[in-house]
Formats: sequence, structure tokens, C-alpha cells
Amino acid sequence: MRHGRAGEVAVVNLAVCDRCGLCLPLCPPEAIHLQLDELVVDPMTCTGCRKCVAPCPVGALSMAYA
Amino acid sequence: MPEVDVLVVGAGPAGSVAALEAKRAAPELDVLLLERDRAVGAPVRCAEGVGDAGLREFADPDGAAWVARKITRVVFVAPDDTEVSVAERDVGWILDRTRFDAFLAAQAGGDGAELLVGTEAAGMTRAADGRWHVRTRGPRGEGSYRAKVVIGADGVEAMVGRWAGLDTRVPARDMESCAQYVVQGIDFDPGAIYLQFGRDIAPGGYAWIFPKAVGIANVGLGMVALRGDGRNARDYLDAWVARRYPRGARTAYTVGGVIVHTTIKRTCADGVLVAGDAAHMINPLSGGGIVNAMKAGRLAGRAAAAAIREGDTSERRLAAYHRTWMDLLGEDHLKYYRLKHALEQLDDACFNALARTVNTIPLRERTLGRIFTHALVRHPQLIPVAARFFL
Repeated sequence: MRHGRAGEVAVVNLAVCDRCGLCLPLCPPEAIHLQLDELVVDPMTCTGCRKCVAPCPVGALSMAYA
Repeated sequence: MPEVDVLVVGAGPAGSVAALEAKRAAPELDVLLLERDRAVGAPVRCAEGVGDAGLREFADPDGAAWVARKITRVVFVAPDDTEVSVAERDVGWILDRTRFDAFLAAQAGGDGAELLVGTEAAGMTRAADGRWHVRTRGPRGEGSYRAKVVIGADGVEAMVGRWAGLDTRVPARDMESCAQYVVQGIDFDPGAIYLQFGRDIAPGGYAWIFPKAVGIANVGLGMVALRGDGRNARDYLDAWVARRYPRGARTAYTVGGVIVHTTIKRTCADGVLVAGDAAHMINPLSGGGIVNAMKAGRLAGRAAAAAIREGDTSERRLAAYHRTWMDLLGEDHLKYYRLKHALEQLDDACFNALARTVNTIPLRERTLGRIFTHALVRHPQLIPVAARFFL
């Protein structure tokens, strides 16, 4: 398991997330899943690469210290 | 564990057509179509536009309940708002995707495929006998199926492909972030679609107005976040709608991703085929994917049926699907991809000048060939763009 830079990982704001699934194929280690219609980021798999953050159409993803 | 011959994941245009084509090609097969959402066709994550010719291969739009508008005109809008009309004929249709997707799924059902809504595929593994064991979650809890062939028509998420070991990941520069409102009480030609380009409007993509009825339209945009200024797609859209339609009522809102890449390198594995958005089968220049998905679904459904009848569902046997798709549209998408990237090198001033040049050609003579010739003569900087398209 690898951790992101300075321990930062992606976190999702479920109040803003529209469950569109756009971020799933952007995630190189496949740390993002839609489970029972809820977006889940696995902090143990996320490498903190930030590739999912800017493309989110509603800004639901951001980085936080795990 | 219940057993089926073909299990299709996702009841969008690719999945429903795949299910019905598999059933039509081999009526003795058990075909199961899974849809995660509780209603086929909802929520709509789409601008809902399709070309006339492609649609007619699958359904007759004249008088259909799943059509919102007929489109006879395309209006390109330059960054400085110069409008250029380029077509005056049977261009296409704006669908009602909620009804259209349900219509396609019902056709699959009518041909004998079983449809389960509210049921998602949660994972799958390949057993020693070559069958796929697909785990599902639905209203009655968890379940599982054994399937000879799984068709992944699960859209941008493309989980089936991933579970089968296919590379369905997308680099961020090839992902369009899209946002769209339904706007009511606005003024535009309800027989036209409008496409506006511009670095400050929709960097790396375009903004659109697709009419649903007189005074009502899907108003949205797709942009590449890496080419933007840090704002997200919804921020860009809010700015565009506020400028164009400050008095319009925004009555619905949706977001989503459109993959503007080219077909994934491998679209099949042993006992698995992927089709539509899940295999990146989208025109990377237009972002259009509905007809592509139906065409791929048709090929996938037939390939699955033929392979099962022959008793060989290996990747080797299924690879004919990939080659047929590449010959049909996949190779074209490679050209469109190059053209998209060439066009991205042009700045707003170039598009503004090009719009004025094209407007000097009388509308009736405004064929694509003539626009092209005119554009190259007046704007030699476009020659490398054209060259990249044809090479």
C-alpha cells in the first residue's frame, strides 16, 4: 500500500457529489468506487495524485490528510 | 446459483441493443439485462442529441413518443458570438432519453431478454469451468449469476472491463467534464442546435443548446479541466447561462463525464465484451456516443450469441468483435481524435475569423467541402490542422 504526498488523500463531499462516475476511470490505482449509489474513496489505495480533483464537474473531491 | 448464457450489465443504449441482438441471433439463449438505477433511462446524463441516419438503423423517430424535437439546422457560434449556420436538412433529433432508453429495454424484453432494474453488478470472478460468476446487489439483497458471456455496457465507470482485466482508465486530458441545465422560457430556434466554442466558455470542449420544446432546451457544456482556469464545469456553465439567458428558469440539472479518447486497446477478454462508453466508443470530436453505443451493442450481442452457439467464448474467438468495431467506427475515431487535438491549438481569434469567412459563402452553397476550401485559402494556419486529419 502506498500513501499520498504528505499523507494527503482524496475525500468526497457527499452533499455535493452527483454520483456521475466521472472520477472512477481517472483514478490510476482504482481507489474510487460507487457502492450502493454512494461514492467511496479507499484511503488505503489512494496515492494522493489529485487526478480526480479538478475534473469533478461540481467540485465534490478535495484533498485532506488521512 | 442461477445460470444465464449472456449477462449484460447496464440498460443504456449499448446494453439494451446488445441484449436484444443476442436474443434475436440465438433465441434459445437466456439473456439477462441488469440496470443499477431503479428506472431505465433515469437520471438522464446526456444532451440527448442524435444524428438522423444513425438513429434510423435502430428505430423510426417519426412520430415516436421518445422524440423531443426534430433538428434541421446546426448553428456554430464563434467565441465572439458570430453565428454560422451550416446545415439545412434532416440533421438529427433530440431524444427524450428517459423514454428512449425504456423503449430500447422494452424491445429487449419483448424479444425475451430478462430485465432486472435496481440491481447492480458488484463484482465478478472467473471460475475454473470458464464461466463468470457475477455478484449482484438489488432490492432483494445480494445475489449471484453464472454466465457464459458478460457484456459490459456500464458506461463511464466501466467496472466490468476492469474486473476482466481490461484497461479502461482515462487520462485527465481526455475526460470532458460536463454540466447541463434544462432551461425554460428562453428564445432560440427550436429546430436548431447551437454549439459555441471559446477558451473562456468551454476550454477544450464546447457549450450547447439542444432544444427539447419551444422555449425549453438542454443548455450545457463540456470542458477539459486541465485546460481550464481552475473553475469546474458547473462554474463555467453558470457563467455562460447567466450571460446568454439571464431570465431563463433552470428547472433541472445534471453532470457527467464524456470520454473523448479512442476505443480501448482490448474490448474483449475470455467470456467478456465491453461496448459503448465503457469501451470509450465515443466520437472524440463531437462527444456523441448514443448511436456508437447502439452499433457496438449490436455487434457485441451478435458476437456473444455466435460464440456461445459455437461453444467457444475465448478472447480469441471474441476478438472478431473488436476488429469489426474498429473497421466500422473505431478507426474513424482515431482521425477525429487527431483533429480535436489539432483544433485545440487554434485560438479564439482564429475561430472568430473563420466564422466570418464562412458567413461570406451563401447559405445554400455552404457545403462542407466549400467551407473547407474557403477556410484553407483564407486561413492558411488551418492547413496543418487539415493535414493531421487526413494523414
